[in-house]
Amino acid sequence: MTVCIWGVGTSSFGRQPDRLPAELAWEAVNEALEDAAVDGVDAAYVGTVFGAPGVAQRALWGVGITGIPIITVENACASGTTALHEAREAILAGRFERVLALGVEHISTLFEGPIAPEATDPEQASGLLLPALYALSASRHMADHGTTASDLAQVAVKNSTHGALNPRAQRRRAVTEEEVLASRPIAEPLTLFQCAGLSDAAAAAVLGPARRGERDIPIRASALRSGEAWDQDSEHVWGFDVVRATAGDAFEEAGLGPHDADVVELHDAFTIGELVTIEALGLAGEGEAAARVRAGELSLGGTQPVNPSGGLLSRGHPLGATGLAQVAELVWQLRGDAGDRQVEGARTALVETMGGGAAGLDGNGCVVAILGG
Amino acid sequence: MTAARAAVRLAAVADPRPMVVEEDGRHLLAGGRCRPNGHVLNRPVPRCPRCRGEVAPARFGPDGAVWAVTVVHVPAREGDDVPYTLAYLDLDAGPRLLVRLDESLAPAHVGARVRLTASTPAGDPAAEVLA
Repeated sequence: MTVCIWGVGTSSFGRQPDRLPAELAWEAVNEALEDAAVDGVDAAYVGTVFGAPGVAQRALWGVGITGIPIITVENACASGTTALHEAREAILAGRFERVLALGVEHISTLFEGPIAPEATDPEQASGLLLPALYALSASRHMADHGTTASDLAQVAVKNSTHGALNPRAQRRRAVTEEEVLASRPIAEPLTLFQCAGLSDAAAAAVLGPARRGERDIPIRASALRSGEAWDQDSEHVWGFDVVRATAGDAFEEAGLGPHDADVVELHDAFTIGELVTIEALGLAGEGEAAARVRAGELSLGGTQPVNPSGGLLSRGHPLGATGLAQVAELVWQLRGDAGDRQVEGARTALVETMGGGAAGLDGNGCVVAILGG
Repeated sequence: MTAARAAVRLAAVADPRPMVVEEDGRHLLAGGRCRPNGHVLNRPVPRCPRCRGEVAPARFGPDGAVWAVTVVHVPAREGDDVPYTLAYLDLDAGPRLLVRLDESLAPAHVGARVRLTASTPAGDPAAEVLA
């Protein structure tokens, strides 16, 4: 059986402290149900990181979804795609037929700047913010591969150029390399414009078996892993190995390789994250991602556009909702509904989300899925 | 009649950070080493994350090299003064450790030699770049 995405939806993205998390979910779920042309589902998997207890049930009550199994999952920034992965697995196992995958996050009322460090984590208790963790990867990547500050900035330039074409994006202005490098330093070498903005948002997808009709998008493969131990014996910077291993699982299931994806949405919470992920997915050799970005190959109009939505850097990063926002973008791309940022002729799409924060691990969770084809 | 008490978090959590101890004037990391395969750990946890082998306490340091380094410009916690330098150190024949790095003797770079010092007043493991 092939599980398909019947419909997708998202709320608006941005700091929306005057709106309830449920209101954001209502927007996303109603759009996804309408897009799927169904009135209800048999179960819901809901991804959230900082969601309050009951956030899923409270949200779904307001759109007439009650009485069904609701399973809430947390896998750091991969929570939304973990919900998608588990929804598909449940359908494949014959447990449910029509399943809602929802991601919802409301963080503008929790954090002013970066996400506060978790006091029970051995490294975060020493003040290791996520931008600092990624900055340490950048430091090592620069030493190993000669990556430059300009290379990092070019990722923000590319994604902001894409984001300017996305009416749902939080940041809708193309920025120059000079502006990126001159923006406020956060954790060197990362500057403010190289960090995704924390966003309040929800995103949803309705999944089910293949139906007649062209609009449903098959999920050709999906893989989920958590990181192995990451320490002095690890060969790569943080997060590389878990992305590579998860992608390997997905490519094997799909019978495809990295260059078969016509369009990619990947986890660019920070600019260095995009470069490391491009290399870990095998879209470029190790140390070669920056050259592909600079040559324009990964831009709209290039051979293999990465993050046509603007990525997390421009669309905004509503942690638990991010994965399903990436999926929504790819469904629109594969249907030819992506407007000004349409990747012409896109038939196969790859989505990657990874989240971390637990010390000593190469990531808390990573999902790679291949759509269409 | 007693007044109702508001629900609040009762206490600070236990300190999860790796511990540096002073022995014979040297600062050493109180870590662990797994018995079956010798994997080194910056904290003495019950079982090795790589092989689930039993872990025995072990001391590491004080010297090592910078694996990666960043200067952070945003405070992570109440009372953090900015900017400050964070680094992953690989202790010689020992584990990787996150530290606050003192660059007063020499600037940090990947590969720079470092030595563990007493933890900061806030309790963070710390080291200095050797001149």
